[in-house]
Amino acid sequence: MILITINGKKIELDGPVTIFEAARRNGIDIPSLCHHPALELWGGCRMCLVEIEKMPRLQTSCTVKAADGMAVYTETPRVVAARKAMLEFLLINHPLQCPTCDKAGECALQDLTVRYGAVAGRFEEGKRTFPENVDDPVIVRNMERCIMCTRCVRMCDGVQGAFAIGVVGRGAGSHVEPFSGGRYNCEYCGNCLNVCPVGAIMSRLHRYTYRPWQMDKTVKTICSFCGVGCTILLEVRGDAIQKVSPAFGKGVNNGLLCGRGMFGYGYAGSPERLKTPLVRKDGKLVPASWDEALALAARRLLEVKAQHGGRAIAGIAGGRCTNEENYAFQKFMRAGLGSNNIDSTARLGLLHAQDLLEGIFGQGAAANVIRGIPHSDAVLVVACDPTRTNPVMGLQVRAASKAGKKVVAIGHAPGLKRHMTHHLSAAFGHEGIALAGLLRELLRQKKALPGENPEFEAAIMGFSELPSPEEVRRLAGVPEAALTQAAEALKDVSTSSIIAGRELAASMDAKRNFMLLAAIGYVLNSRFFLVSEHPNEQGLIDMGCTPDMLPGGRPLALQTFRERCEHEWGARLDPEPGLTLMEMFEQAGGAIRAMYIMGENPAFNLPGRKKIKEALEKKLDFLVVQDIFLTETASLADVVLPSKAWSEKEGTYTNLEKRIQKLAQATGKNHEAGMEDWRILALIGRLAGLGNMPYASASDIIDEIARVSPLHAGLRYEDLEEDGMMWPYKGKPLRMSGGMQPLPAAKAAATLDRREEDTGQTGPALVIEKPLFHSGSLSRHSGALLDIMGGPEAKMAPGTAAGLGICEGGSVKISTAEGEMVLKAKLEKGLPAGAIFAGNNFGDAGALGLFGYELEPGSKTPVPRAEGLEITPL
Amino acid sequence: MTSYLLDVARNRNIEEYEKAGGYQGLGKALFMEPGQVVEEVKKSGLRGRGGAGFPTGMKWMFMASDPKSPRYIVCNADEGEPGTFKDKALIDKNPHVLLEGMAIAGHALMAGLGYIYLRAEYPEERGILEAALKEARAKGYLGENVMGSGKKFDIHVHMGAGAYICGEETALIDSLEGKRGQPRLKPPFPVNSGLWGMPTMVNNVETLSNLPFIMREGALRYAGIGDPSCPGNKLFPVSGHVERPGVYELPMGTPLREIIYEHAGGIKNGKALKAVIPGGISAPVLAPDQIDCPMDFVSVQKAGSMLGSGAVMVFDEDTCIVRVALRTLEFFEHESCGKCTPCREGTGWLKAILERIETKQGHGGDIQLLEDVCRNIAGNTFCPLGDGAASAALGFIRHFREEFTEHIRSGCRYHREQGQAQP
Repeated sequence: MILITINGKKIELDGPVTIFEAARRNGIDIPSLCHHPALELWGGCRMCLVEIEKMPRLQTSCTVKAADGMAVYTETPRVVAARKAMLEFLLINHPLQCPTCDKAGECALQDLTVRYGAVAGRFEEGKRTFPENVDDPVIVRNMERCIMCTRCVRMCDGVQGAFAIGVVGRGAGSHVEPFSGGRYNCEYCGNCLNVCPVGAIMSRLHRYTYRPWQMDKTVKTICSFCGVGCTILLEVRGDAIQKVSPAFGKGVNNGLLCGRGMFGYGYAGSPERLKTPLVRKDGKLVPASWDEALALAARRLLEVKAQHGGRAIAGIAGGRCTNEENYAFQKFMRAGLGSNNIDSTARLGLLHAQDLLEGIFGQGAAANVIRGIPHSDAVLVVACDPTRTNPVMGLQVRAASKAGKKVVAIGHAPGLKRHMTHHLSAAFGHEGIALAGLLRELLRQKKALPGENPEFEAAIMGFSELPSPEEVRRLAGVPEAALTQAAEALKDVSTSSIIAGRELAASMDAKRNFMLLAAIGYVLNSRFFLVSEHPNEQGLIDMGCTPDMLPGGRPLALQTFRERCEHEWGARLDPEPGLTLMEMFEQAGGAIRAMYIMGENPAFNLPGRKKIKEALEKKLDFLVVQDIFLTETASLADVVLPSKAWSEKEGTYTNLEKRIQKLAQATGKNHEAGMEDWRILALIGRLAGLGNMPYASASDIIDEIARVSPLHAGLRYEDLEEDGMMWPYKGKPLRMSGGMQPLPAAKAAATLDRREEDTGQTGPALVIEKPLFHSGSLSRHSGALLDIMGGPEAKMAPGTAAGLGICEGGSVKISTAEGEMVLKAKLEKGLPAGAIFAGNNFGDAGALGLFGYELEPGSKTPVPRAEGLEITPL
Repeated sequence: MTSYLLDVARNRNIEEYEKAGGYQGLGKALFMEPGQVVEEVKKSGLRGRGGAGFPTGMKWMFMASDPKSPRYIVCNADEGEPGTFKDKALIDKNPHVLLEGMAIAGHALMAGLGYIYLRAEYPEERGILEAALKEARAKGYLGENVMGSGKKFDIHVHMGAGAYICGEETALIDSLEGKRGQPRLKPPFPVNSGLWGMPTMVNNVETLSNLPFIMREGALRYAGIGDPSCPGNKLFPVSGHVERPGVYELPMGTPLREIIYEHAGGIKNGKALKAVIPGGISAPVLAPDQIDCPMDFVSVQKAGSMLGSGAVMVFDEDTCIVRVALRTLEFFEHESCGKCTPCREGTGWLKAILERIETKQGHGGDIQLLEDVCRNIAGNTFCPLGDGAASAALGFIRHFREEFTEHIRSGCRYHREQGQAQP
């Protein structure tokens, strides 16, 4: 216990904290410009000087730790004089542009000048000048305003780990510049400008249009881009988002953002948004009234049902829709239309990964807190790059690295290049072999297994024929030393985090991969994290948007549970599971006659694009699509119903931690065009006399979910106020108290199938690139993200390019059995040899169009295949 | 008086150094336990020669009690303070005494590696050091097995990049790590968390060069040289208006008058002394009536200045003090690292005011303003650089206020007398 006094007030502290922090906790405000709770201590601005008894000099309260018996004074005449002096110093070179500076009104320097009084202006010489830099599409630098607090640099180096900017020059000529010069070559997280206390680094998106005091409101909500579920603040004026602000101290992200979350919001206000419903007349989509479109949808669905039965209708739910919407969707499909043909893009990997993991460890196996990652002794990243797909989770891996923890990456993870301690550079699709080799080495090097679960340990020891480091090198291309050293680094950790990518589950070897992952996880006492590309991908699974599971993850096959739903929904449910995602398209025109797609774009987001488009366009009798844009899928529909964007509705998302968080309506009050997806479903249901959806708001649906789903039992909308609520919410977890339960089937799969796969690839391999700045359907409509990265490219290592006769910027034709496309080549050092990276982000240039697929037999997960790949320079 | 720093051998090769007793101190140290060597240094009363005068033995004790490893010895050879060129002379004349000193420190503090952070403007000294290192390695004084003791110690020379601030030990470490050289927060001190976060001893060239004598001749003999409160010989680089500028090795506590008038041959061309800076440019100026002050850490401080690096800068009666003050602040403005507000903004402001006074554009209130700005800097900066700038400026005003007033009233007399146009 430490006892100090601040301004005479007695303060007790449990542990050593700075005086600044002790004061803050006790409501005593000490001003500072350079200090920021997310950043390492600096002590440069000298605004937080305080007087401490028995110390002759004033001390910076942000750096001095409170010690027992200290008597601190924060506003004595001497302190105030010093602060005024510091402000005078800062203002001699700071331009007095407050009337035209976007920061005015929320500028720390302006506020402090008001607090301590303006000075007399004794500086007679000219101020330091720097030209304003507008070379970058989204960030504008005005270094005359910079007060050298270096928050931006400390953010970029210490937290973001991007090392993109630095202080150049010396003394009063010091200023901040990106190492790339005018335009930034960085991750565009925007965290630098979010910590700038003055107007030195600002977003160009709201330049000269944003005045904080003119905002109608600030709305706290959840980001719409990926499965991390970052808390953000939307600054709103005139029913439009003017700016995204961070909420430091709040949410999963503690105020940190990524490029998509920070700059990508423009899609919600895009002029390309659907403005009215569309119906197909004479082969063309034409605007229609809501009444007409809804009536048509209801009538045609009823006709198909009458003619072919409910099972002839298939539905795809959306990972960008809320839990409430997805719940309503599966209810509409099951209870209204009588079909269990419900699936989503969770089928592409997350669902299978979760099934496999939960099959071994019990429900909630991957429900872990992202902010806990840096607290584990080691992080193992397998077949993914969290810094790209889930950037803020990636930051936690970097934080672990900064804290000196072991970071081992298996596979391609360019965003962790500078942050990993060990890299097992397994060839694409061969990460499982590296896992097997790692397990073998761990078992060899470790003195003993944890001993918690003898049955499980017996299963692990029964894993036969794990490959030796030499075999791993031959089969997966991982150097032997890297493997043994990684095992050496991991063997003694007491806790660890494992982050796994969906490619591990979208594999014919998925079962093997996850058995190995589970075994390693057991040996290393790991918490699991599954990367998730959509903000509510987890919600799709939990809300029962799968052909065989009802809300709450309870099997359709379970009669008691089916009856519970039947009772609540007032309809008989088909006990037979429905078709999975790819099967729906495969059987279009046969068993499937109509489809209902909500907030998803399968004509773009799935492998086998040609066949999917053909199915949607030619084989179906009827297709309804709900979306905010006329997507590739919507443009093939018979009825298109405009829905609301994420900022325009209430509801909840479940993130990859299984944390349910609340969206808040920020805009769209006057948006007549779109309706919430659940509302559209309810209206069609009412018109068709299908389903029982008497909802007035998202909160009504949450109440129903809480009645139906044992997982969400008792959950209320109001429970989600602060940081949402983590699994198992108020319900009962299915996880056994004893921990993991190895499945008998898993034992059988434990033998490593050592097909003699030769990674000395004869030709190049095509890999789907997941860029930081684009997700696909939404990001294409965000002006800022297009400015940062405007179009598709084929990235490859210079050596690979040379071998193929390709030069930087040249056109490359990539053709496969599925199709062909021409992309611009971009050479990037350090990429794995032989790999061509192309993203699935830009319309016709979406590289998934080059992939066919093969279904993993158990889970029906499509495993993408680029057969007959040919790369030719043009 | 014995010279053990500069006048050891006629030339700087290792044989000459050995003949004069070189590397015997290291030999003796290696026969002792590391802790005993630290104890011996503590007993000697050696105080750091870089400027602050901190007791070296105590600093060593702090590091000796930290168990972390690896550990480093860093020699601060970033001699950037105007007027100071003693380390340069030492390396030029006697590089092996430094290498031996570092090897002794390495043994005492259980470090296997040393760095010499050498001022960017000393490329010639780099060559001298590299040649000496080669010799020492060849003779087994450095390397995998130092003098057959089984201990490893080697030294790298690392060139600075021209920033004065990198003479501050934590900024030096940042620079050595490849970062922008700026002072770090203390604590933790480098003795606990220095280079790469490991225990690191940063000592000045001259400090380290005292170690061979202490080890060879014993702490007691050393403690008997010069002033008991800060014993040993001190190098005094003397520059400015004297007949014989140069570096003088004299016992600590030699009066300033003796240094100027006996060793340096008095004021050039028989002129009168106007002012003297006793310890490098950060040290406030002294008036002619103060030069009986003994040159040791305590006495110079009592006289209102500081011994600092011991660099004596002499100004004769024809010197314009405002110009000296302006030149001084030009230096500090250029060398302020930019980390903290008062130093970054204040040094430039002081320079600007002095500039207008010197060019007859000053006005009433400027002296008051100078003093105000100095007071707002002093005590409020992150590191001593800003304090040094403020106290230097205040020193000039304290002793020569009249001259400042006259400048404001009627411009610079010295320019007129020397027939120069007003700048």
